Amino acid sequence: MAAPAVRFDHVTKRFSGHVAVRNLSFEVPTGGIFGLLGPNGAGKSTSIRMMMDIIEPDEGSIALFGSDRKGRDLSARIGFLPEERGLYKKMQVLDHLVFFGEVKGIGRGEARRRATAWLERLGIGDWADKKVEDLSKGMQQKVQFIGALLHDPELVVLDEPFSGLDPVNSQVMKDVVIDLAKSGVTVLFSTHIMEQAERMCDRIVIIARGEKVVDGSLSEIKGEFGGRHVALGFTHDRDRASRILADRTLIASVDDYGASADIQMTEGADPEGVLHALVREGVGLSRFEIVEPSLQSIFIAKVGNAAVASRTGEAA
Amino acid sequence: MNKIFAVIRREFVERVRTKAFILSTFGLPILMVFVTVVPVLMMKGTDRTTNIAVIDATSDSVGTRIIAGLERPTFKEGGKPKYAIEHIAPTGDVTTLRDSLLKRTIRDAAEPLDGVLVLPEGVLSGGQAEYFGTNVGSLESMGDLQRILSSTIVGTRLERAGVDAGLVTAAMRPASLKSTKVSKGMATGESGEASFILAYLMGFMLYISVVLFGQQTMMSVIEEKTSRIMEILASSLRPFEMLMGKVLGVGSVGLLQMSIWGGTIFLVGRNRAVLANLFNVPVETMQQMPLPNIPTELLIVFLTYFALGFLLFGALFAAVGSMVNSTQEAQQAVSGVVMLIMVGFFGVFAVIKDPSGGLGTILSMIPFTAPFVMPVRWSMAAVPPAELAISLGIMIAGLLAVVWLAGRIYRTGILMYGKKPSLREVWRWVRAG
Repeated sequence: MAAPAVRFDHVTKRFSGHVAVRNLSFEVPTGGIFGLLGPNGAGKSTSIRMMMDIIEPDEGSIALFGSDRKGRDLSARIGFLPEERGLYKKMQVLDHLVFFGEVKGIGRGEARRRATAWLERLGIGDWADKKVEDLSKGMQQKVQFIGALLHDPELVVLDEPFSGLDPVNSQVMKDVVIDLAKSGVTVLFSTHIMEQAERMCDRIVIIARGEKVVDGSLSEIKGEFGGRHVALGFTHDRDRASRILADRTLIASVDDYGASADIQMTEGADPEGVLHALVREGVGLSRFEIVEPSLQSIFIAKVGNAAVASRTGEAA
Repeated sequence: MNKIFAVIRREFVERVRTKAFILSTFGLPILMVFVTVVPVLMMKGTDRTTNIAVIDATSDSVGTRIIAGLERPTFKEGGKPKYAIEHIAPTGDVTTLRDSLLKRTIRDAAEPLDGVLVLPEGVLSGGQAEYFGTNVGSLESMGDLQRILSSTIVGTRLERAGVDAGLVTAAMRPASLKSTKVSKGMATGESGEASFILAYLMGFMLYISVVLFGQQTMMSVIEEKTSRIMEILASSLRPFEMLMGKVLGVGSVGLLQMSIWGGTIFLVGRNRAVLANLFNVPVETMQQMPLPNIPTELLIVFLTYFALGFLLFGALFAAVGSMVNSTQEAQQAVSGVVMLIMVGFFGVFAVIKDPSGGLGTILSMIPFTAPFVMPVRWSMAAVPPAELAISLGIMIAGLLAVVWLAGRIYRTGILMYGKKPSLREVWRWVRAG
């Protein structure tokens, strides 16, 4: 079996007193799209920076491609789009991309050829000899994206790749990412936008406050949460439902939208019991459906728990 | 290794392409030719006869002699007299007469005058001669006038005292002192003035360019930090590669500029005759311009120390850039480095005063001051080759130590955002790992 593309082994990183990443372990298998999810400040970027050998973990280790060499030594095999985009503002686009190619170890001619092809593909071929500062933010992001892919890496690490993009450009980037995955490249991207991750990722890890809360393939995770999610739609007497929804022996959490609500049952609780109780109270229902949970609801349930746990004392 | 080269190339190409670089690099040599040739052209342009009215109130013949003295000098070319003298006999009140003559100094007067010379009675026995003119600001004209006046009066006094006229002429012949620089036991054919200017110019150029290019290195590090491009660089390049690439890249731009500037002075100095022909001015006048002849060895010593000095200070500037988050913060943090440079620059003056003195020797052995002091010493005095070798050796050792230190600070600094680190924290970065 092939070694995982990325392997975190009990990694901890502290910054002046506060723990950014705590005892984090997970594996990114070779091939496919892997989502590193978590709320802002969860430690996603810190994890990625450690992976890229920009900063070093305080404890634990990170292995790339099963090798014991550091991220920087393997940089020719990795494409990296940092969260904080940065380009030399005064440089011409094509020159800039050639420079990116060079520091990744490909020749100038080859870098120029590939960069030109990529610029055409992403629809900004006419901008090749413009200065970076003349480009719109979205175009700069595309340039940066090309910079990460220029050297045909085996592993592409994208930190919040879709943030700040309009829907059209977001679509273009998504297509590129999907194509990369199809061609056998391992893609790891971080995001806090769950809809995107839900549609694209094969596997995910959710971290919160530096700790892993969910790890697995999307279908496994959904299966584990399945059957306990109920979507409700109210017609009248909405307020009569409040007492039932507040019953924590039955219902773990409520995502309340007023006229509708998504509820999550506690483990072992029977959805039919809830339906029974609601009907008995005389709540008017337009919808009662046991649904597959959205990643969003899993995320909120899990991250919410972790948040509560770490506030009350110590999580697992 | 190719990666370092990519960084060097980027720094070099992006800088050399800027308008600022092109303007300063080629502007200065043009300015240099300009300041060499224009004064000569201007001097040539002043061979206009000066019209002076002399109110001669002397009763002895001294007034006549002064007038004769003024009428004697001519311009080199064409034999045109320097002064056209109008002899006015004093009638009535001298002040009124003078004032009426001064009316003729306005530009469109019928018989224009440049000035009025008043010789009172008793000028020979200490009376004050007075000159009223539009050209009193010209040091050259006033010096000339003063010289003629005083030599005539002194000559007349001596003759009156019974000294033989021939003897007076012989005694009054001016004594002149020509200073020539001696280097390695031989005369260089270079005047003392030129050698001072050369030393000062070198010190100044080194100072300006180290500060200028050093600041550029620092700014470029700060730019990479604030634009966050550092993350991409740091994930592909070793901090040492980034540091050296940057310092060498900016340094080679500086070296190119210095070579063009130094080369121009070198060439202008060597080709005065050609330039003189080109602008149709006498070669001798051109030779008098205090522009130094740069010996080839000096040019090499100068460029070598510039390169070493720049690497040293460039690494320090880069380390400072890596510690701070903004240009404003940098201004404070960099003051220590600028101080070191200032010491070197002021050392230049000490060396100019006494090139072989103890202070100069010590300063040329300290890596932070040697880049400024050594080329100047070399230009002013004969430096023993052994001393040069020791200085270079210490310089290179110091350079390696500083680069190592800067590399350690840089490694941590470039990824630190937020508060400016204290000196103690910086020391921890150096010792870590």
